Amino acid sequence: MMNSMNNVEFLKGLMNQNFKIVETDVIDQYQVSFVLKQADVLQALVTLRNAGWIQMSYLSAVDWPDENKIEVVYILMNWERPVHIQIRTKIDRNDPVMPTIIHIYPGAKYYERECHEFFGVKFPGNPDYQKQLILEMWDDMPPLRKDFDPKAYSDRKFTKREYNEDYLVLSDQNDKKAKREARKERAESLKGGQKI
Amino acid sequence: MKQMKLFLGPQHPGMHGNASVHLYVDGDIIKKSFLLPGMLHRGFEKGMERHTWINNISLIPRVCVVEPDINEMAFAMGTEKLLGIVAPERAHWIRMIILELARLSIHLMAYGGLGGPTGNYTLMYHAHADRNSILDIFEQITGHRVYHQYIVPGGVRKDLPVGIEKDIHAFIDSLESRYEEYRDLGIENPSIVARIKDTIMLPADVVWELGVTGIGMRSSVGKPYDVRKVMPYARYDQVEFEVPTSDYSDARSRIDCKLKEIIQSISIIRQCLAKMPEGPVRVPLGRGQSMRWTVPKGYVYSPVESSRGEFGYYMVSNGGTNPWRVGVRGASYPQGLLGVEKYLPGTRLDDAALWIDTMGVCSPEIDR
Repeated sequence: MMNSMNNVEFLKGLMNQNFKIVETDVIDQYQVSFVLKQADVLQALVTLRNAGWIQMSYLSAVDWPDENKIEVVYILMNWERPVHIQIRTKIDRNDPVMPTIIHIYPGAKYYERECHEFFGVKFPGNPDYQKQLILEMWDDMPPLRKDFDPKAYSDRKFTKREYNEDYLVLSDQNDKKAKREARKERAESLKGGQKI
Repeated sequence: MKQMKLFLGPQHPGMHGNASVHLYVDGDIIKKSFLLPGMLHRGFEKGMERHTWINNISLIPRVCVVEPDINEMAFAMGTEKLLGIVAPERAHWIRMIILELARLSIHLMAYGGLGGPTGNYTLMYHAHADRNSILDIFEQITGHRVYHQYIVPGGVRKDLPVGIEKDIHAFIDSLESRYEEYRDLGIENPSIVARIKDTIMLPADVVWELGVTGIGMRSSVGKPYDVRKVMPYARYDQVEFEVPTSDYSDARSRIDCKLKEIIQSISIIRQCLAKMPEGPVRVPLGRGQSMRWTVPKGYVYSPVESSRGEFGYYMVSNGGTNPWRVGVRGASYPQGLLGVEKYLPGTRLDDAALWIDTMGVCSPEIDR
């Protein structure tokens, strides 16, 4: 194996020479991330595949509703020069379309299908991308988007069940009940941060 | 002859977990096949976004049922990378012991699982009995048998109990002494060899097309492509071990690699027990109340070597108390979905279960 920091330098050189990189981030000696413009992604993947990054490890997306963007992520791996590469690009959230990469990495076929199912990203060129994979007869918005509310979905979809109070309250002594309420309140108040 | 539709699983003894293979057969030759996942979808990735970083510790082991510790390790390493903290020295060695014990347990279970499709149930009973001893050791160390929640961001939950080294040594000695017996029972057994030799091939060019990692890749490519070796995490760079490989990947050679890894794991555990320093085992991730700990903004992919290949968590933080997105790269995703669709057609019906078993397809990590 070659020196691992050299691999990162090699990679930075290769990418900067060929593309306009929006942002580069060296996470550690085994991982680099590049943020690219949408138009450059396919060419970058071809370049990296020819440079030896022949394994596609992961493809997914991240939702950023505040910016009205969806970020598509590709993770590539080369076992001879052990560096994981993240290629990220932000695309429009209202009509997210990415060209398919199955002619570059055939293994992406099912990842694209899953990404369409959970984020609504369209992959024209992949023959099966709109078929259902994991969610059976789904009739709501793609569930991993941030504005999908699981509670509202389950309230709408399933009948409300009445729970017997006996199972919830183990003891009906008043002081214990009050203590439990206080503890619950305190836990809620300590949660902090955003609630999704 | 007329084509017939068949379902393999989820109740078939050769099927691992709650997925099903949809087969179109002509006689006993498979003409078309695909996996039907989704029976075990529990919305983990959404669930992780709705819990705090510290709450997630109890959720992540459930992603892969039979090998939960790799999930904890990937999550812990990713969180530590985002936070920029380093776990104490002793914690790394304890983590390695846990991970290698888990690898032994899953290899034993997978090797015993070979008894299902080939009809040799003796093998399964022996392997599961030995796996049970590993679960006993886990129970002593962590208090739990299957989902340990032991490897946490910042180290491990607590130190090893006093005298556990003796139990671990006793177990790995007994397993090592029975190793030849295991080989005779399974892959040296003529009645099984006839069944697993030269079936379900995986040529080297197919490996890169699918994106298969782990034993499937190493048994085909013949190179030691193991995450522990090429990009060592924890203290794998300070122990000596070999990565078994082969350049002819049929069902038998994949199981052979699996068995050789058992010997390597035993050796790693021995080295860890010898080299482990004394000291603290955990550092806190932040100050104050753990529910309010925040993690700085960032994107990180943290891979570990599971028994089935490269297993990774893709973690995104926006600086809040909850993860913004956690994506799970299941190690058996490529061979489970694309592998079943593309490479089962043309083989015989009874070999389908062997593919599922020897490639280690694990349905919970496909569904998440």
